[in-house]
Amino acid sequence: MSGGDRTEIRLAGAGGQGVVTAGRILAEAAILSGRTSTHSQVFGPQSRGGASRSDVVIADAEIGFPLALDLDVLVVLSEAAYTRYVPELGDAATLVVDERAVPGTGDGRPQTHRFPIVETAHRIVGSPVATGVVALGVLEALTGLVDAAALEKAVGSRVPAHRREANIQALAAGRDLGQAA
Amino acid sequence: MTEARLIQGNQACAEGALAAGCRFFAGYPITPSSEIAEHLARSLPGAGGTFVQMEDEIASLGAVIGASVGGMKAMTATSGPGFSLMQEHIGYAAMAEVPCVVVDVMRGGPSTGLPTSPSQGDVMQARWGTHGGHPAIVLAPASVAEVFELTVRAFNLAERFHTPVTVVFDEVIGHTRESVVLPDHVDIVDRRRPDGPVEGFLPKAAAADDITPLPAFGDGYRYHLTGLVYDERGFPTTDPTQTGALLERLHRKVDAYSPEIEDAETFMTEDADVIVFAYGIVARAAREAVRLAREEGVRAGLFRPVTLWPFPAKALEAAVGAARTVIAAEMNHGQMIHEVERVAASTAEIVPHLRVDGEPISPAELLAKLRERAAAQTGGRG
Repeated sequence: MSGGDRTEIRLAGAGGQGVVTAGRILAEAAILSGRTSTHSQVFGPQSRGGASRSDVVIADAEIGFPLALDLDVLVVLSEAAYTRYVPELGDAATLVVDERAVPGTGDGRPQTHRFPIVETAHRIVGSPVATGVVALGVLEALTGLVDAAALEKAVGSRVPAHRREANIQALAAGRDLGQAA
Repeated sequence: MTEARLIQGNQACAEGALAAGCRFFAGYPITPSSEIAEHLARSLPGAGGTFVQMEDEIASLGAVIGASVGGMKAMTATSGPGFSLMQEHIGYAAMAEVPCVVVDVMRGGPSTGLPTSPSQGDVMQARWGTHGGHPAIVLAPASVAEVFELTVRAFNLAERFHTPVTVVFDEVIGHTRESVVLPDHVDIVDRRRPDGPVEGFLPKAAAADDITPLPAFGDGYRYHLTGLVYDERGFPTTDPTQTGALLERLHRKVDAYSPEIEDAETFMTEDADVIVFAYGIVARAAREAVRLAREEGVRAGLFRPVTLWPFPAKALEAAVGAARTVIAAEMNHGQMIHEVERVAASTAEIVPHLRVDGEPISPAELLAKLRERAAAQTGGRG
């Protein structure tokens, strides 16, 4: 039930990719930009190693129903997340997929963008943990959903101090990917 | 006011408790309430308070009652399975008149049910779960901001009426993060303490407003606490006159003050043909559905009880007014609907919209229901 000024974003991937943290960062960046937001995540066994999911709703004013209902943007970072969430995605929604985790382009969706998100995270921090942050950089460049400075500030305050520099780099690398598209 | 922050419902509960003056928490972690304990474990010691992880939920509320009679504002938090275990001590606190706050973050049931899914299956248990017949105050927030506000209010009501107060919300409210601006100041109420001489103190002597003073153990006043029926000294009695007077007074403490305690929200009910009755997260879906239905020309409205108990019957009756249909939407097999029927069945058709599959009720399904009932009314008129 997206509409008006309401935007719904889902980040979906595998446990350990920082998908939940990235969702919180996105929601916090929206607040820093003077907007309102909500963040929800999947709890329970499915969040342990299997599929991980993080939903963000951003609006200009008070948010009525806080859960995502009709996604505007879906980011999938694993094949399992692709299989699970893409079939229910509306035709007008923007889909961002990791090009290595999701081989092939056979879905025929006009709004699909493919980037080496997981690979970029590995290159910068040597592990998948910053994958979600790279995805945020991609989203920022691709959709302009949130202000770049707010996003950078939110990354800086959410991740541990000794990881800050690497995460800012991951965000910038994601932005470069998105801008090149 | 402070800046907007992204915080979880459970965190707002912990922060509300701290703002209200809670300085003791005893609990046993259970999904989906554990973050309340987690936040208080981190913040209470620094605030001069005490956090204890107990061996189970029975002991948790026991420790809370003990801390409260020691003079502390005290709370525990749990979910359905733990709430069941706490029922005996809730009755004890009601009988012995011990202020305390119990938070139940509801998950799917019965039994251990669905630990990570939302439910509203405990709302009747919150009223009738403990034995023997007792008054109950139960608050049901519908947003992260309101979790903070009503946790503060729960402490204030507990301290004002010397009784346990329960806050119930579901897994979605507990786990969802929302941008909220928490107030930097809240009004707080402190329990009534005795001010007369220590010698000859009668803790349960008749009070004009039915609220007897509650000294802390250690204040110097000697008194006795028990779950048995007690006399004005606090000692057990079976005298029918004193028994009747005590039980009547315990009920009066909530019944006579219910206009002050009761709270409800209405949205577009003034000219509504169809009203959704919903509380907690379901009310958020219902409000959205009502807004969309209005855009389509359906005269829809929402009634949301903020206090489930005492039930805001007069407010519901006024809100229903000339509406012909009330849709009672709940994430259970039909619990508060019985109260709606008691109040409104003589003037309106009461239609259940219930969900017990672990999924929250969505705005879309309530919008469909509103359309359906509005169409049925038009058909009936034809």
